[in-house]
Amino acid sequence: MIDPDAELVRSAGAGDVRAVEALVRRHLPKMVGVARRMLNDGAEAEDVAQEVFLRVWREAPRWKPGQAKFATWMHRVALNLCYDRLRRRREKTDPDAGLMVADSRPLASEEWLARQRAAKVHAALAELPERQRAAIALVHFDEMSNIAAAEILEISVEALESLLARGRRALKAALADVVQDLIGGAEGAP
Amino acid sequence: MRKENPMDRERFVELLDAYGADFRRWPAEARAAGVAYAAQEAEAAALIAEASKLDQVLEAARESDEPSPDLVARILVSAPRAQRPAFDRRALFALAACAVFGVVLGYSGGLLAPMPSEDDAYFTMAFEAPMAFEDE
Repeated sequence: MIDPDAELVRSAGAGDVRAVEALVRRHLPKMVGVARRMLNDGAEAEDVAQEVFLRVWREAPRWKPGQAKFATWMHRVALNLCYDRLRRRREKTDPDAGLMVADSRPLASEEWLARQRAAKVHAALAELPERQRAAIALVHFDEMSNIAAAEILEISVEALESLLARGRRALKAALADVVQDLIGGAEGAP
Repeated sequence: MRKENPMDRERFVELLDAYGADFRRWPAEARAAGVAYAAQEAEAAALIAEASKLDQVLEAARESDEPSPDLVARILVSAPRAQRPAFDRRALFALAACAVFGVVLGYSGGLLAPMPSEDDAYFTMAFEAPMAFEDE
């Protein structure tokens, strides 16, 4: 197995500034993205991404290419940090945790509608069981291959397909009005 | 790579349910069969259109994953830095070489210097002279 990050990680661990910057450029947006979709909170997602990189810097000097690719390991760290935060939220039972605060500024109606729809989608994603949400975040939003996503989640490809199908079915049911609003309207347009 | 069974309606629907209507998200080994099935089966277009609705809704809610400049700065600051050696090895070597050269030079200089002779006695006397005056 060839790890495309192996050389970068080795150099970053030795303090090579260019390798550090390249690793950040390559992986930070993905870490922020997956954490945002898991937590539905931009600030918390950035905290998770920062924590992932603190662990990267700690591991890089002694990283040895093994069974998992470095990117797979990073995604697992990010998801585990997200699961921890979601568990703490449940323990606190804060009803507002993870909910996007509505922007009070007046908006043009089309923009306002788009934001409303996006908020509904994020809320529906947040309602999914964590593993289904993670599967959809990796395969749909990160456009990761089924094999890579299954490896991150440490499940078989068949189990991943099952998570995806159940997640998408739940989203379709929860977002029926958004589908109607977005696509029904477009189909009906001249 | 996992071997994909021949495409039939059941498998086509399963894949649409799991991966959506964009064949790029499908398992690599199933893409070609999926495209071929879609081209030859009249019903496939309607199945794809139905699955595509959720894809479009999800895409409409996609946010930028671009991290804030502040986060990038925080992460770069926390990165490991190359350790500078306490002493530069070359400088240390040059210093040691200078020390050895100095010792050798000092020692050989002492050996090469002429032995004091009686002709040098007046030099010694020159320093004793003031004391002689004091006594007077």
